[in-house]
Amino acid sequence: MAEDFIYLDYAASTPVDPRVFDRMRECSEATCANPSSTHAAGRVSQDIIAGAAAQVAGLLSVDPKTLVWTSGATESDNLAIAGGARYRASRGRHIITMKTEHKAVTDVFEKLGREGFEVTWVEPGSNGLLDPAGFEAVLRADTQFASIMFVNNETGVIQDIEALGNICRERDILFHVDAAQAVGKVQIDLSKLPVDLLSLTGHKFYGPKGIGALYIADRPGCHVDPILFGGGQQRRLRPGTLPTELIAGLGMAAEIAAESINDDLEHLKALRAVLWGGIKDIEGVTVNGDPGGFPGILNVSVDDVEGESLLLALEPLLVATGSACNSKIQEPSYVLRALGLTDMRAQSAIRFSVGRPTTMDEVEFAAGHYRAAVEQLRTLAPENAA
Amino acid sequence: MSADPYSVVVRELFAATPHAGDLIRAESVFTADQEVRIRLSATAEDGVVTAVRFRAWGCPHLIAAAEAACAALEGQPTTVLADWTAADLMQNLPVPVEKTGRILVLEDTVRSLGQRFRDRT
Repeated sequence: MAEDFIYLDYAASTPVDPRVFDRMRECSEATCANPSSTHAAGRVSQDIIAGAAAQVAGLLSVDPKTLVWTSGATESDNLAIAGGARYRASRGRHIITMKTEHKAVTDVFEKLGREGFEVTWVEPGSNGLLDPAGFEAVLRADTQFASIMFVNNETGVIQDIEALGNICRERDILFHVDAAQAVGKVQIDLSKLPVDLLSLTGHKFYGPKGIGALYIADRPGCHVDPILFGGGQQRRLRPGTLPTELIAGLGMAAEIAAESINDDLEHLKALRAVLWGGIKDIEGVTVNGDPGGFPGILNVSVDDVEGESLLLALEPLLVATGSACNSKIQEPSYVLRALGLTDMRAQSAIRFSVGRPTTMDEVEFAAGHYRAAVEQLRTLAPENAA
Repeated sequence: MSADPYSVVVRELFAATPHAGDLIRAESVFTADQEVRIRLSATAEDGVVTAVRFRAWGCPHLIAAAEAACAALEGQPTTVLADWTAADLMQNLPVPVEKTGRILVLEDTVRSLGQRFRDRT
């Protein structure tokens, strides 16, 4: 990364922890063998993967056998949602998700809708939180699948997964949680949480890109149909040669997270307090989403400032905007629009996301620079009439 | 690294805007369209533009274009403004095609300013 920039985009991706690098290099040097091979070298790879499974399982308090390796959260979400809904299709074709989910979830639901499933899109309140009673109200006799994210990637809002999961468990509805922004960052104990399927990815908590996992609870009726075909690996749920080094890296990232998660959270809370404290008195600035959410994400909007210019004026801060990044003309975030923000306010949104390596000096600079950028653009702007 | 959405020229014009502001006892035009707002004010003497200032709310390309246009118009005959075109500006910055409409709002604003000078004479 260019040294002149200050990286405040940890919700998009995190740097690989040096201990993760070391573990991956060590495994790469230990063997090149395909873990599906039965010879001695193949068994070394199998042992590495088994060790990593134990590390990830330890972070989540689950049996390692409940984990399926994938290429990341997008694939995990696809496998969970398409695979889970299709597995349950003979019992019912009503499925539920929320409007503020990641595209890796919403696009799969739209695809299933075109396949004949009936999708209900539940809406959060203006704080981004889903009311469990409102969720329960849309359930039907033929509801078989629901997917609700743990930590929202744009706002950091944390849903009441326990309450929502209990509602689903009482009705034997498969309950999937996209936890890409939560695993390794907030405490998750799946031995207690009523979650059937949970997606995670390595690069959101200092592991490598290209590796993730899907947790599939070991309980009757909890299963998914495969969406990839071509081999017998991973109980035919997700065929393909396993990337030993990446899995080892994910395992190490999980072990580090398990040890440091409480310290990390305290660090993030302190950073957020300084960042928000430095900008909260700017006229017209507001936090988007429940302020009691994940402390690593602070999403703010401000009155009468154009988002794209704000993003450029904020350099050397590397932050995310409240606009769809895949669009040449920036469109307001559908997540923020679902919270009731106007196009103008959604377009001015900036997501600051801090991480383990972020320093107090960096967030102090960020707050001051944000103030200056807002002031500069407001000074530049005309009144509404000549 | 993938392509920067902003050229060096756009970055420089956005970062330093000596023509931002207002002029007193000047002709002034305000336009709001295509999700942008622009105000231009200009003074002239003996049929020559002596100073142009802008205020703008919009994307970096618009702000850069407004700064560049102000600089280019100073010293020009006021008669040039009413027929001014942003075509060269759009090519030089350059402006992505999806933002052309916003720069045309600037073009309209300059032309309106030119019309003000024309009406005055």
